[in-house]
Amino acid sequence: MSKEAELPYVIIVGGGKVGYHLTRHLLERGYEVTLIEKDAARAEWIEHQLGTVSVMVGDGDEMAFLATTGIERARVVVGATGDDEDNLIVCQLAKVKFNVPRTVARVSNPHNVAVFRALGVDAPVSATEVLMGLIEAELGSELVRGVAVKASGTCLVDLALPLVSALVGKRVVDIVLPRGGFIVCIVRSGKPLPPEPDTVVEPGDELVVYSQLLDVAEVGEALARA
Amino acid sequence: MKVIIVGCGRVGARLALQLVGEGHQVAVVDQQVSAFDRLGREFSGQMIVGNCIDEAVLRRAGIESADCFCSLTNGDNRNLMAAQIAQRFFKVPRVITRLYDPIRESVYREQGLETFCPTTLGADLVHDYFIDGINRGHAGPSIGHPEPATGHTEPGTKPPALRAS
Repeated sequence: MSKEAELPYVIIVGGGKVGYHLTRHLLERGYEVTLIEKDAARAEWIEHQLGTVSVMVGDGDEMAFLATTGIERARVVVGATGDDEDNLIVCQLAKVKFNVPRTVARVSNPHNVAVFRALGVDAPVSATEVLMGLIEAELGSELVRGVAVKASGTCLVDLALPLVSALVGKRVVDIVLPRGGFIVCIVRSGKPLPPEPDTVVEPGDELVVYSQLLDVAEVGEALARA
Repeated sequence: MKVIIVGCGRVGARLALQLVGEGHQVAVVDQQVSAFDRLGREFSGQMIVGNCIDEAVLRRAGIESADCFCSLTNGDNRNLMAAQIAQRFFKVPRVITRLYDPIRESVYREQGLETFCPTTLGADLVHDYFIDGINRGHAGPSIGHPEPATGHTEPGTKPPALRAS
């Protein structure tokens, strides 16, 4: 088997800007991708751009149509339309009727992230939520260097400690972060250290902290106060 | 009883007026302000303009204390999502969803959602009228009490022709 053949088959529903770029990106990486788009003219345009035959015109929520896309061998189905309800139903049908192992949904309303997760979508992704996290990190604390948001709805926050921080001289075991956050890694002089309970924070250390999304500002503040 | 209706179309509006008339507490949710025109000026229930798949909007409609929830918008997926939020998230005791697509209806019925499908209901109704000579769509004793098909009907009891109503 060639390496390409081993890459998983991905189905993307919705050929808007998000769906189009996602398809293009995955194809460039050698994935087998089928893009499902309702609008025939849009589908034709995408097909022309991508130079492949992997665009199908149809409704991603029609069971009979989905059955013609080879969905039963898909490893990932992505609901990438602009409508939350359509993305939810596509993912649920993929999961329940075609046993697709992983479903990813684009979510417009950040409130729906928790709803999607409760209703069985493996990875609901809200651009608004991601941007909110970054903006809050930016506004909430000057300590925050970067944020990586995970599909699980949690994030890794990279924090630079100012020399004056009260955390300096404290042991890892004594640092309590809000809502179950914890220190994943300490970066000292550019080198990552695994945080042992007895590790003492030194001036200039950088901390990578695991935290619930949208608590970024809170984490920063708690650290600044600590 | 407290009832939330999402979708103020013909069915939603008619149901809302009927329930209010019977003394129930009703909240209707629709995206379009103009949709509430169907309820008339006298309507004493609650009217909420907003997206029915937004939990904040549903909270405004009082979903936390609702006894019944009806998904009656024009979109099957929208109805399915609203109904699942009501049932699984807010634990509304009784939830019913309208679905035009019979296939999606059977899938979600299997998943434990209470549904009805105007497509199959309508087709069955016309079928029964033509083939069995029963007009279940006509207000009369046959609604809810389907009579067995006899194949031949007594003169004078033959159901009237289908009319637009």
